[in-house]
Amino acid sequence: MFDQILQFILTGITVGATYALVALGFAIIYNASDVVNFSQGEFVMLGAMSTIALSAGNGLPLWLAAACSVAMVICVGLMLQRFAIAPARGASVVTTIIITIGASIFLRGLALLLWGKDIFGMPHFSGEVPLRIGEATLLPQNLWVMGGASVLVLGVHYFFNHTTHGKAILACSCNRTAAHLVGINVGMMMLIAYGLSALLGSLAGILVAPITFTSYDAGVMLGLKGFSAAILGGMGNPMGAVAGGLLLGLIESLAAGLISSGYKDAIGFVILLLVLFFRPSGLFGKASAERV
Amino acid sequence: MALLEVHGLSKSFGGVTAIADLDFGVPEGQVYSVIGPNGAGKTTLFNMLCGIYSPDEGSIRFLDREIIGRLPHQVAELGVSRTFQNLQMFFNMSVLDNVKVGCHLRTRGRIWSNALRLPGTRREEKQAERWAREAILFCGLDDYLESHADALPYGVLKRLEIARALAASPRLLLMDEPAAGLNDTETKQMRSLIRQISGTGITVLLVEHNMGLVMDVSDRILVIDYGSRLAEGPPEAIQNDPRVIEAYLGGEIEYAV
Amino acid sequence: MSHLRGFYLLVAAALLLPLIFPDNYYVTVVGVTAALHAILAVSLNLLMGYAGQISLGHAGFFGIGAYASAILTTRYGWNPWPAMLFGLVLTGVVAFTLGRPILRLKGHYLAMATLGLGIIINILLVQTGSLTGGPDGLGGIPTLSLFGWAVDSDLRWYTVIVSVLLAVVWLVLNIINSRSGRALRALHGSEVAAEMMGINTTTTKTGVFVLAALIASLAGSLFAHQQAFVSPDSFSFFFSIELVTMVVLGGMASTYGAIMGAIILTFLPELLVVFEDFEVLIFGAILMSMMIFLPQGLFVGMQKLWRRVATEESRRGAA
Ligand SMILES: Nc1ncnc2c1ncn2[C@@H]1O[C@H](COP(=O)(O)OP(=O)(O)OP(=O)(O)O)[C@@H](O)[C@H]1O
Ligand SMILES: [Mg+2]
Repeated sequence: MFDQILQFILTGITVGATYALVALGFAIIYNASDVVNFSQGEFVMLGAMSTIALSAGNGLPLWLAAACSVAMVICVGLMLQRFAIAPARGASVVTTIIITIGASIFLRGLALLLWGKDIFGMPHFSGEVPLRIGEATLLPQNLWVMGGASVLVLGVHYFFNHTTHGKAILACSCNRTAAHLVGINVGMMMLIAYGLSALLGSLAGILVAPITFTSYDAGVMLGLKGFSAAILGGMGNPMGAVAGGLLLGLIESLAAGLISSGYKDAIGFVILLLVLFFRPSGLFGKASAERV
Repeated sequence: MALLEVHGLSKSFGGVTAIADLDFGVPEGQVYSVIGPNGAGKTTLFNMLCGIYSPDEGSIRFLDREIIGRLPHQVAELGVSRTFQNLQMFFNMSVLDNVKVGCHLRTRGRIWSNALRLPGTRREEKQAERWAREAILFCGLDDYLESHADALPYGVLKRLEIARALAASPRLLLMDEPAAGLNDTETKQMRSLIRQISGTGITVLLVEHNMGLVMDVSDRILVIDYGSRLAEGPPEAIQNDPRVIEAYLGGEIEYAV
Repeated sequence: MSHLRGFYLLVAAALLLPLIFPDNYYVTVVGVTAALHAILAVSLNLLMGYAGQISLGHAGFFGIGAYASAILTTRYGWNPWPAMLFGLVLTGVVAFTLGRPILRLKGHYLAMATLGLGIIINILLVQTGSLTGGPDGLGGIPTLSLFGWAVDSDLRWYTVIVSVLLAVVWLVLNIINSRSGRALRALHGSEVAAEMMGINTTTTKTGVFVLAALIASLAGSLFAHQQAFVSPDSFSFFFSIELVTMVVLGGMASTYGAIMGAIILTFLPELLVVFEDFEVLIFGAILMSMMIFLPQGLFVGMQKLWRRVATEESRRGAA
């Protein structure tokens, strides 16, 4: 029993690490531009799909294919900001939601056109010989996911707390006009935020693809989970989003193992709802009181 | 017996004391002003009087009924209405509809009766329209009747908020800085509007930074600083109170409008 | 009455279409789907456009109505009408109990909570296979009949569903232009001011949530009988999003806008079929560009444009 639970926890952390990266992407864009980017999941899908296409299809070594595809997805992120989000500035929350949903449908359509409806796998980075921890097993790829996610999260944390660009993005999120007045290039900061989110998404996709496989519509569910995780943690807080991701991954994995795999998504959402009922701004979000 | 009685009222936000052990009473039919420097706690006081904030301590009695523990819409039912320092307009509605919302408590029509346009609803709609037009006329907004609220200048919106509050036919009207941001002409209009409102028998509780206006329209004035009472009395007494002159405006008061 | 002027146009169009194009696929088949979508969009618009409370889970209530009718008529042999009523009661209970805590949330948190609710309902439909037939769905749902008049042809379904649409639109227009409708709009404009005018914002929010859910449930029952078959796919997260898109595309806080959005979004895929593989891509591109260039929605945007042209004209006329 204990070993079984350990197994669920290990799986949960792996899945949670992926969610955490997607949620982090959500939180970064939300903090920079107040937009909930529903195409965040498509970054994940595009990262994985294009890496597979470049390595299996065009014969590039995996690392080179991954690098190229990350660069491409970053371009997609920049274009999304430049051509879809920037022109609609000042539009209502719902309008921007629909725009990003349109973008997500567009990207999915593009993937469908390029690669069809097949499900693709990716070779594991360093073999498939499982490591044993007691009775539980762990694939080397799981370690890649956890390690990769940790490095990325730490990097993002460093970026926002110790670099001028990172701080400038936070300034834009507090007060756009003031940021502009003190000489911050707001447009540039938005591009950096979207590029960073795309980078996180695509890397998450590449890291996890060997375990989960991928297809043109794999981004939808991941996007939803990322959004849930970001809300669970509290939308305004990037590290809260990471915690939310890990928590959601663990909850789902335990629910699937101990209760029923068919209900695992439902249980995740039920817990999310319960959290929101008692903490309306998420676990680590600050309650914002409206002043009159 | 005053219309509104406040005893030992206190409220703090985290470490900031906004209101500290405040006592005062507003007699029926008067214009009663609350003045004090920025951040003195005037808006916080208003928010407690109408149930938006709940005080840490004290009591607020209106018509001899306790306000504390009631929600804003329940306070409104007792006959309290208000305007806001930062405009709280329904920008998604026309001027007429904004003011008709003010008639909410004077009409009873339920959703099913509204949905089916039963005769009761038709009658009430006509009645609400009459009341709203009256209030609009009273505030001198007849030119803007059909306009959309988001297309109006600031000065007009200030009066629209008053019209909406008046449409509720309140016993007590709280006005939070009605003249802020108005030019001289508009301020004069506001002054006579406040007098007219008081003339209809409505008790007015006024917060305002324009001293000329306050001294002119008020029957009594309460001065607060850091949430506690500094002085209270008729305008002449307040004007000459050395504590007020010193503490409130650093010894310099401009009384001209 | 002035607030019903557009409504009479709508009635005229609904009557004339099948007369001018009898047995036309786009009128009596796609048209019926569009009308059904319009019912849903109008109800969602009441909640989202007027009361300002976003919901990304509306398809869930549509699903409860549809499955209540489907299960009770096929598995328990109920007459369709009490089954429909049961669906409404069930939807009302669910919406009422969950509406209160959910509607305390705001903005993106509200969006997430409603989205979660919709997904949970969908998962329940998939997982309770012994009752719902699971992912394969449930077929053999009998058609409706009214005093011996069986709704058994496309034209008859057109009559029924379009009549329900017109009735819903009439009720909604009446509500919007009355005390309760102003309370809804006030909620959207400023919650504190609404409270101060004596509006109980909590019960108003719950009330409009329940009302919108009930209309969706009714649409669901009709859908089940019309299709004679239901499966969870029709009530997924994607469909909730599509409904929101209809509302936003037409223009928030405009009942006619919601109808227009429903019609466009129903016909667009039909027309895009010719692009075959490019269909999804083009659909996404159209959606994005419409929202970028007309962020207020098509109907509201056009209305504003029309008003501007009209004032220009009158100004020129006066000069
Ligand atoms: N919701 C709140 N949360 C935290 N602090 C608050 C809140 N509302 C008011 N305060 C604080 O309480 C104090 C009193 O504020 P209040 O708005 O009541 O002042 P005021 O007298 O209305 O000032 P002004 O003349 O500028 O309108 C201030 O220090 C303010 O920062
Ligand atoms: Mg104030």
